[in-house]
Amino acid sequence: MIMFSWDTFIYFSILSLLFWVSGAIAAWGERSKLALTLSIGGLIVFFGYILNLWMLLERPPLRTMGETRLWYSFFLALAGVIIYSRWKYKWILSFSTIMAGVFIMINLLKPEIHDKTLMPALQSPWFAPHVIVYMFAYALLGAATLVAIYSLLKKTVLSTEMPLINNLINSGVAFLTFGMLFGALWAKEAWGHYWSWDPKETWAAITWLGYMVYLHYSLMPRQNRRVAMWMIIVCFVLLQMCWWGINYLPSAQATSVHTYTS
Amino acid sequence: MWNKPWSIKEGFTIGAGLIILGLMLQISVGPIAWNYCRWPVNIILLAVFAAIIAIFYIFRHKVYFFNFIGTLQSGVPTIVYAVILTLILGLTRQTVDGEWLNDMLSFWPFVLIYVYLDFTLGIVIIKQCHTWFLYISKVLFSKNKIVFPYSRLFSTLFHLGLFLTLTCATLGNADMHRLKTIVYTGRAEWRAMDSENRIRELNITFELKKFTIETYEDGTPKRYASDLTIYTPDGQTIDTTIEVNHPFKYKGWKIYQSGYDPSSGPFHQSSILELIKDPWLPWVYTGVYIMLAGAVFMFLFSGKNPQNNKSLAVE
Repeated sequence: MIMFSWDTFIYFSILSLLFWVSGAIAAWGERSKLALTLSIGGLIVFFGYILNLWMLLERPPLRTMGETRLWYSFFLALAGVIIYSRWKYKWILSFSTIMAGVFIMINLLKPEIHDKTLMPALQSPWFAPHVIVYMFAYALLGAATLVAIYSLLKKTVLSTEMPLINNLINSGVAFLTFGMLFGALWAKEAWGHYWSWDPKETWAAITWLGYMVYLHYSLMPRQNRRVAMWMIIVCFVLLQMCWWGINYLPSAQATSVHTYTS
Repeated sequence: MWNKPWSIKEGFTIGAGLIILGLMLQISVGPIAWNYCRWPVNIILLAVFAAIIAIFYIFRHKVYFFNFIGTLQSGVPTIVYAVILTLILGLTRQTVDGEWLNDMLSFWPFVLIYVYLDFTLGIVIIKQCHTWFLYISKVLFSKNKIVFPYSRLFSTLFHLGLFLTLTCATLGNADMHRLKTIVYTGRAEWRAMDSENRIRELNITFELKKFTIETYEDGTPKRYASDLTIYTPDGQTIDTTIEVNHPFKYKGWKIYQSGYDPSSGPFHQSSILELIKDPWLPWVYTGVYIMLAGAVFMFLFSGKNPQNNKSLAVE
């Protein structure tokens, strides 16, 4: 079996992107079956690379920022395929391809060190589902945020955009909930308690509650759509804090319970 | 303001009032002393809490405020306040001997807003269950065809799951036992230290047979595990291996590999274990599973129903 390291990433990503771009073009041409086939082809190539990296590293590639970006690219493309097959928005595949491409580019230009070490706390069957559902949630909520920004720039929020945004947010929040609760169940097994208000947990709660504000606000009879769109953007900023921002937050330094030697 | 029907402004004002009340309590009685919330105080608090929720629901047509609590005009500001206070928690350093914002979990405004949020959840659950009951009876007894709003089922599951989790996790926290013990090879150990550093005698005895540690090339630990023999009061002898992510369960207790002494060199003769018992955990987990079910429904039914964005309406 040939093992593909990060050096071969460029070939796989170009091949995947070729599939996804041609799928996106087929979607504009209203050839939905061809578009889906091509996009799924790209997903298979990309996932093949992830699987190989997994075997090479002898652990799930979910630990470093570079590795999570790999999954983020994959799930952006997958989210695009799912949304396309479900609601047939013909622009969604172009959008998901561009987004996945951006994260592939970041990984090509700024690859972060990918070593083999994985601390004992992360060696758990919960690790993969926990991070994967979060990445999927981030992809959906990122898509919702871009639609929100787009409609704010246009100065009018069309009624046709609201169901799309709400579908994306509902699916995203569902997966955000999976991620958070899987994390809690895992924390009980690894650290003895399901919720310790660790900085990561606190920010996960902030983000989740933020989306709850949007979900409830969007049910109100008289609402300001611009305010609703801004809520989506603010929530996505909070999400970024939770994902990587807390690494730079003074209050979160050296207070983590995620340490194992005493 | 205060002209009926109340709007989101009144909702924000009530929340602000709660925060001011919290600040006054913080000044007058000091931070919340959670360690008093032990069995049976917590179960009494729970009964009182549930009774007040029921009274508010029963008299919702008599007192305007009671009915207001379960509305979006009240709920949205409450979640906004919860976000803001949790943001402060996320932005300030929390310390063991901290006060006010540095000890948010015992800070009255923080706790009061969460209690109010939890109370709202309780009211909403009764409201929604009432509505489901009316739907079900209509579906069963009405001749007209009624569309059952499956797509709103997730909302009830979320509210119910979160209510159970929040309530039981908070009230049950002081009932949790967390003990630490250091076990040595060839030496029986039946004592452990509680969170206030008091020595407690256990009814089981540990003996460390072997501590194993594997490291990566750079010296960081890859895996560490304790081979233990556990002697139980009923005369059983249990041989088991405990490692990170693989605690051992024994009669409501979970025994964790907590750490080791890195100063003892490559040949470790000791291991640090943590013993945890959380009697309220099944209720917290019930809430977690209900929320997970809610998330499944939320994903499956999002966008399936054109009335997706309609709230469940009562009466």
